[in-house]
Formats: sequence, C-alpha cells, structure tokens
Amino acid sequence: MTEDLDIKLIKYTQEGLPLTKTPYKDIADGLGMTEEEVIDRLKALLENGKIRRLAASIAHRKIGINSNAMTVWKVPSEKVDECGKIMAAFEEVTHCYERPTFPGWEYNVFTMIHGYTDEECENVIKSIKEKTGLDDYVMLYSEREFKKVGVRI
Amino acid sequence: MALSEIEKKILQRLQSNLPLTHRPFLDIANELDLDEDLVIEKIKAMVEGKYVRRLAPIINTQAVGNSATLAAMQVPDDRIEDVAEVINGYSGVSHNYLRKGKNRELPLNIWFTMSAPSQEELEGNIKEIEDRTGFDVRMLPTTKKYKIGVKFKIYRKG
Repeated sequence: MTEDLDIKLIKYTQEGLPLTKTPYKDIADGLGMTEEEVIDRLKALLENGKIRRLAASIAHRKIGINSNAMTVWKVPSEKVDECGKIMAAFEEVTHCYERPTFPGWEYNVFTMIHGYTDEECENVIKSIKEKTGLDDYVMLYSEREFKKVGVRI
Repeated sequence: MALSEIEKKILQRLQSNLPLTHRPFLDIANELDLDEDLVIEKIKAMVEGKYVRRLAPIINTQAVGNSATLAAMQVPDDRIEDVAEVINGYSGVSHNYLRKGKNRELPLNIWFTMSAPSQEELEGNIKEIEDRTGFDVRMLPTTKKYKIGVKFKIYRKG
C-alpha cells in the first residue's frame, strides 16, 4: 500500500513538478492526498535513496557544456578505492564507477567528465594522473548522441 | 547559450534539492535575493527553452527494484545507424552514444545504458539486441559507485 503510493507519486511527478507557487499542494490535489503527506513522502523517498534528488536535470550541451569524456582507467585492484575517491572529488567528474573486466577489456574504473571544452576535460584527466599516479587510460569522447533521456519508472 | 546571469544563478540552485516546504520557489527566491514570481517565470522559460529537461524527482532505478547496466558493442561504420535504432527502441535505454577513443583506439564504439524491472528482463533485452543485430553486447554493470552527481558548474560566484 505504502509502496504503491510512492510509485504513484513518482509517476505523477517524474515528467516535472507543477511550476506554481505551491507545487506540493497541487500534486496533493491531483492525487487526492494532503500537502503534508506529499512532502513527508518525498522526504522519506529522498532519505531512503529511492529518489536521488528532487532537482533540475539540465541540458548540458545547450548551456555550452559541450565536452563529455568518458574516461576509462586501468587501476590495480588494491588501489581502486583510493583512486575512486580522488577522482570523485573533482567537480567536473560527474560519475565515477568501478566496473567488471573481461578478457580483452582491462579498464575497471569509469569516470564521466564534463566540461565546456575538451581542453577543460583533459586538464582534469591530467590532474587525476598526477594525483593517482595512473597512466593507463582511454578518453572516449561522444561523437554522436543517439539517445539521452532521464530514467523513468 | 543565451542565459542571463539571473537565470544561471537560478539554474545553479535548481541542481540541488528543491525545498520541501509550502512555498519552495519563495524559499529559493529569498535565498537568491530574487522575487518569487520572477523565479517561477524564469524556470518556466528555461523548461520551454529546453535548458532544463525537467524539474522532477530523479529516480534511483536500483533502489526502486530495477536492474541496470552499461553496455558496449563493436559495430562497423555501415551498421551503426541501424544498430543504434534497434537499441533506442527499448524504453529502458536512457543513454546511447557513439564514442571514439582519443588517445588510443578502442574497438568498442556504441555505449548505452539500460534498465529493466528485473535482472532477467535486462539480460533478455540484451540477448534480444544481440540476436536482432548480430553483434555481441558486453554488459558492464556497476560493481562500486564512487560518485553519481551530475551537478554542473553553471554560475561561478565572483
């Protein structure tokens, strides 16, 4: 029951909150809930991590952040934690994950780096190299975007 | 590209959580020393102008029970279009890019992310893409997360 209301609330709001003075009240009216219930439920969803953020998804290319370098690194397993933390600390690094390797693929740490220019991304990569001592990496720039949408349920 | 300083300031703030209060835009307006009506009007304009994709809850697919993976393929140039189209046809695909190694060549060139209500369905979809395109798909799910933020530097103070 609780679960269903959470899903209902997410589905009702995931395309965008009402841009009104009292968005939570308006959501509540639409769902037959009270404003307090909507606010409490959103708070709980943020706290339990089902919602990462209640925030704007921006079209980064449109605002001039044109460079996007997915950089993959070969990191010795005992250094993954240390390096992952160093990489994550950069503002331009928006995502940093460890991923599996397989024969023919030895790059185990992925960083997504966003910048206004390729040069900006490459300066970040240079700093990461200096701070971690890593040297085996590949910068994979996006040549074409076939699809980019937010995750929906 | 044509955002005003005020819009940039609002956009920077909107990348963090919206206050969970009766008048969230009034709270933001007060924080930024702006007027509530202006803040709402500017947000609407930025949504219409497609600078903002949406102002909404950003879901953690795994936390709501979904399975997700990054996937990569090696596809020859003359098949890229139709393979990309097959991939795009799945509603669980949120990102799909053609990527090229800059400092080193890599055989994998199509990179996409896919989520599905279950691991079984995810793997089923991946298998289906392999069957439909005739190319292998490498699944690279996250084993550990160090950061997921996607907050951009838009407005620099000073």
